[in-house]
Amino acid sequence: MSAVLNASHTPPPPAAPLHQVSPGLWQLAWRRLKRDKVGIVSLVVVIFFLLMMVGSYTGLVAKNWSKEVGVSYANPSFMAGAENLEAVRTKADANAPKIEPVDLSDIDPLAPRYAEWAERTAKIKTTEVKRAESLAFGGDKWGRDVLQKAIKGAETSIFVGLFAALFATIIGTTLGAISGYMGGKVGDLLEWFYNIFTSIPYILLILAFAAVFASSPQLAAYKGVPMVVAILAFTGWTGIYRLVRSEYIKHASREYVKAAQAIGASDSRRMFVHILPNVSHVCLVQLSQHVVQFIKAEVILSYLGLGVPVDSVSWGTMLAEAQSELVIGKWWQLAAAGISMAILVTAFSMLTDSLRDALDPKIK
Amino acid sequence: MDNLLEVKNLNVKFRLDGNQIFEAVKGISFNVPKNSTVALVGESGSGKSVSAMSIVRLLPKETAIISPNSEISFEGRNLLKLPEQDMRNVRGKAISVIFQEPMSSLNPVFTVGDQIAEVLRLHTKMTRKQAWARAEELMHEVGIPNPKLRMNSFPHELSGGQQQRVMIAQAISCEPKLLIADEPTTALDVTIQKQILDLIANLQQRHSMSVLFITHDLAVVGEIADHIVVMQSGEIKEKGTAKAIFEAPTHPYTKALLSCRPSVLERPKRLPVIDDFLRPEGVNKENLVQRKRGYEPNDQIVLEVNNLSKKFMLKDGLFKKREVAAVKDASFKLARGKTLGLVGESGSGKTTVGLTLMRLHAASGGEVLFDGVDLLKLSEKDFLKYKRRIQIVFQNPYASLNPRFTVGQILLEPMKIHSIGVDDQERIGLAMALLKRVGLPDVSFYKYPHEFSGGQRQRIAIARCLTMKPDVLICDESVSALDVSVQAQVLNLLQDLQDEYKMSYIFISHDLAVVKYISDQVMVMSEGDVIEVANSDEIYLHPKQEYTKKLLGSIPKGWQETAAA
Amino acid sequence: MGAYVLRRLWQMIPTLAGVMLLIFVLFNWVGGDPSLVLAGKITNKEQIENIKKQLGVDQPAYVQLGYFAFEVATGFTCTWKSFTDKPEPPKTDPKADPTTDAKSDAVKATAQTKSGCQAVRSWATNEEVPKILTTRIVPTLTIMIPVLILETILGVILAIGVAYVRGSLTDRMIMMVCTVAMSVSFLVYIIVAQYIFGFQLGWFPVQGWSDSFWKNITYYAPLPIMLAVFVGLAPALRLYRSFFLDEINNDYVRTARAKGVSEKTVMMKHVLRNAMIPILTNIGIALPGIFVGSFLLETFFSIPGLGREILVAVNRSDFPVIKAATVYLAMVTMIINLLVDVLYKAVDPRVTFK
Repeated sequence: MSAVLNASHTPPPPAAPLHQVSPGLWQLAWRRLKRDKVGIVSLVVVIFFLLMMVGSYTGLVAKNWSKEVGVSYANPSFMAGAENLEAVRTKADANAPKIEPVDLSDIDPLAPRYAEWAERTAKIKTTEVKRAESLAFGGDKWGRDVLQKAIKGAETSIFVGLFAALFATIIGTTLGAISGYMGGKVGDLLEWFYNIFTSIPYILLILAFAAVFASSPQLAAYKGVPMVVAILAFTGWTGIYRLVRSEYIKHASREYVKAAQAIGASDSRRMFVHILPNVSHVCLVQLSQHVVQFIKAEVILSYLGLGVPVDSVSWGTMLAEAQSELVIGKWWQLAAAGISMAILVTAFSMLTDSLRDALDPKIK
Repeated sequence: MDNLLEVKNLNVKFRLDGNQIFEAVKGISFNVPKNSTVALVGESGSGKSVSAMSIVRLLPKETAIISPNSEISFEGRNLLKLPEQDMRNVRGKAISVIFQEPMSSLNPVFTVGDQIAEVLRLHTKMTRKQAWARAEELMHEVGIPNPKLRMNSFPHELSGGQQQRVMIAQAISCEPKLLIADEPTTALDVTIQKQILDLIANLQQRHSMSVLFITHDLAVVGEIADHIVVMQSGEIKEKGTAKAIFEAPTHPYTKALLSCRPSVLERPKRLPVIDDFLRPEGVNKENLVQRKRGYEPNDQIVLEVNNLSKKFMLKDGLFKKREVAAVKDASFKLARGKTLGLVGESGSGKTTVGLTLMRLHAASGGEVLFDGVDLLKLSEKDFLKYKRRIQIVFQNPYASLNPRFTVGQILLEPMKIHSIGVDDQERIGLAMALLKRVGLPDVSFYKYPHEFSGGQRQRIAIARCLTMKPDVLICDESVSALDVSVQAQVLNLLQDLQDEYKMSYIFISHDLAVVKYISDQVMVMSEGDVIEVANSDEIYLHPKQEYTKKLLGSIPKGWQETAAA
Repeated sequence: MGAYVLRRLWQMIPTLAGVMLLIFVLFNWVGGDPSLVLAGKITNKEQIENIKKQLGVDQPAYVQLGYFAFEVATGFTCTWKSFTDKPEPPKTDPKADPTTDAKSDAVKATAQTKSGCQAVRSWATNEEVPKILTTRIVPTLTIMIPVLILETILGVILAIGVAYVRGSLTDRMIMMVCTVAMSVSFLVYIIVAQYIFGFQLGWFPVQGWSDSFWKNITYYAPLPIMLAVFVGLAPALRLYRSFFLDEINNDYVRTARAKGVSEKTVMMKHVLRNAMIPILTNIGIALPGIFVGSFLLETFFSIPGLGREILVAVNRSDFPVIKAATVYLAMVTMIINLLVDVLYKAVDPRVTFK
């Protein structure tokens, strides 16, 4: 597998006599990572979540997450016998309007949205003949399987985190590379741009973007996941920009780049063929760090109703429902979303640390 | 004679990544007699610094393992078995240390006065006031002008030489019996090096202490050492009095160390290298024939530089900018097949000359005539044709090769850019031939730079230049970062290549001996000014300018000179 | 130093202009026509018309930018329209909805102002924007200043301790716990803490705020403050520990040891003093954030702070409030950055004001 890794970054010289090419820095990093037990375990966990995401996206798992398979607030199967007053009440008065367990509307800024959510959920509602009394990890208010919801929610949250981080890294790296390498007027312009974004507190910047994007009639078609990705990417590139810029400034004055200039390599060749592979490990670590950051941000945005709509469940919307459920003692939705997110984020953070250690180019 | 320090069977290992163990010091024994200077000499990786740091137990606890059979006896006590508390009372009081980089070795956020007084407060019963007053006296003793004022300076406000003086003041403050000096002059300019060496020798006499002087450069210790211990890869190769080591070395490695460093007095055709001494027949006599150097009247001039200048702009004040001249009106000629040495201390502008004339920096004025064309006036596109004819080898072998490229890619890149060779097959052939020429095996082609040593990397960098068959090769401190034995090999390679390809060299270095050895003509620079340009022998034998004289007077003389004096 | 401060202030001008441009582009172009934005959110047609007039949406872009620049220059206390136009006679629309609430009265009231200077008002509540911001900042700072102080002090103390035992099992365990703690969403912490300490145990009020500072700080604020400190501590500890470890590997630490300085003094004197430099940088970066506060905490605990106000404004598409908050806080951020840079001199003698 190391040959594959190598081939993608440093193609062996063409028409060379058959010969074992020495391991490059990427391969050495991979070897170091393989020795790091924590790193490998984290990698396995992350890959598991990614596979789950693909599985749920293609409909292999959690396909029926929106089906109301259980009674309202069905107990988790490990506490199947427990009393479930909510289900009894719902059954008793099926036609009655949905009961708000505890009215939090005065403290909850999202109160107006509940009606909207309930309405949307009602649309997806299908008539079920038989509803289970208990589900693997319990059910929500409408009797949907919480475990399936958590898997589907993971798909949304990871998708948003991954793509937002990818775009932020692309923006940050491109601008940082140009600014750091070119300097001068172009560099000043980009620095100005960077200063604008960083002089607005980050949270405020996100909220401002969210407010505008959400109310913009032109962008209405992109509401939901694409919009969250865009908000996070447009506001989150600054840290990567700063880092990549300083790396480029550092490398541009290194002797190997001067040597490339001396042999007549063009600017773009120096920027992308010479320097980029030498800072790519920084970008990779940043990417992985931002995935974590953006997953957390997505959860909060969705909770606030500025993220994905409720009909495409995410960990954030699950937590929004869980808040009022907890008061009536239904803790499983909170646990499912909170724990699955904690496991992924822990694994991702540890993988980031291991990556950083493995890629640390001390041997240079 | 009583021994102050006895190192017996010292063995130090390091834990590396992946449970590997590296044996840095392999059971060495040596003594430091009272009131004398012992030099621990060796190249990088010889274990000299590790040995010295074991004495004060300053090796990283997490990775270093000192074998339990080792013993370091200081005034009858085994330092390795001392409790940490007692060891702290030894450090700074009985044994003190000065390091290579004075700038980073001083704490940047405390004044130098505070830092000297701190030692006194730790190990004596002095009050704050007394310690401060004593620190001021010490500053005076180590030769810092205006000590009263300088006490309140922060390290960054002092020059490198003054910083090292502060380190020394700190080290001698508690009248230690042993001073360990770990490459104390390596980071300093040659004139400063001379002053610091004199200071250490002087203090050693006055305070009747012993000095353990660690260095890679035998010439440095020639004047001050009483005993010399020569180390290589964790073992002691030879030890004895300075006289014995310099006059009658027995181990081939010692012999090699003594003769592979160029001397200002001689100029053999090729420098002897370690292999020469390991062969039974010894050094090839033919190589020792003296080489004649200097420009001849009928030399063809390939490069003529007139009034080259380079200014940098610094921000200053509210909106102003200040101009700093790095090079002022430098003019010189370079003859075909000859070497021009550019010598000067740090900040002299010698490197800027090299970078500016090949347009790695934009020049501020002057002209660079190559084949009658002013290179500075050409457009970027026209200049590309000339680029391949002037090439450069940089100082740091670890930074000048792209770590993500294989050696093959490094060598093929310039050929592709300049369309040398009809196809890749031919280029690979050329690259292989060049690798062989610079003394590297074929398999190097498939390897990455990190798999090579410093000397080998410089060979790769040279091979990269050779792919373009340049007329002019600029060597910017190209051998300065290398160990002396490797330095000799690379210098020989450069000389061979010059003889073979008739290349002209601009050889930039702070090392006067090396410049004298390799150059036909020498240009001395200081603070951007050209002080003097003349043929190499001329300038070394009859320097005209005061600065040149001072510079030449600072060259470490080694043993022979002292004996003659 | 005076020259330095002047130059820095001078350099703020283009940045501030850029911030205004960004806000303008976002809200006036991307955001679109307020009548569309507000459709469904504000039903009062007259008010929307008034807003459109205020903004001058039918004017060319540069005129609109001019309005905005004028608003910023006057600190949002004057709107351009009311300043330039002759005061219009009060138009009473006979068809006006009789159920028009107090807000619409306020709209009429502003139209009648003859002073010529009229503050920018919230689209949703018609409250004067400068007043909204100045009143909401107090609760936010009541929470955030103690949080910042506690977090820094605890973070530094714990980080020194952990750095002192670096590489040990304790160190690794604490770092592991930090990583896990950081991976749980802030939301989960708030939901659970509010449930346990508020609803179940009743140690703290579930939510609320009062007019008395003393009551707030002793009764309402402790739980939110402790939550924010608890959640902020893990990343601070990790970061500060890395600062200490970076310093420990420096040559001057080896020198200090060679002088016979004890390991404790090395940490508490030599290393701490140097690590304060990156720590101060970090505080400087975090400082502007305290003005926005933790909008989540303010929402959950019903604290009438700036963060919650901005969130409410976002949900209502109340652009004037968001615009004003953004521009003001950008200014505050720039001033704080300058102050931090000047303070730098106190911790790092190498800093020179060029």
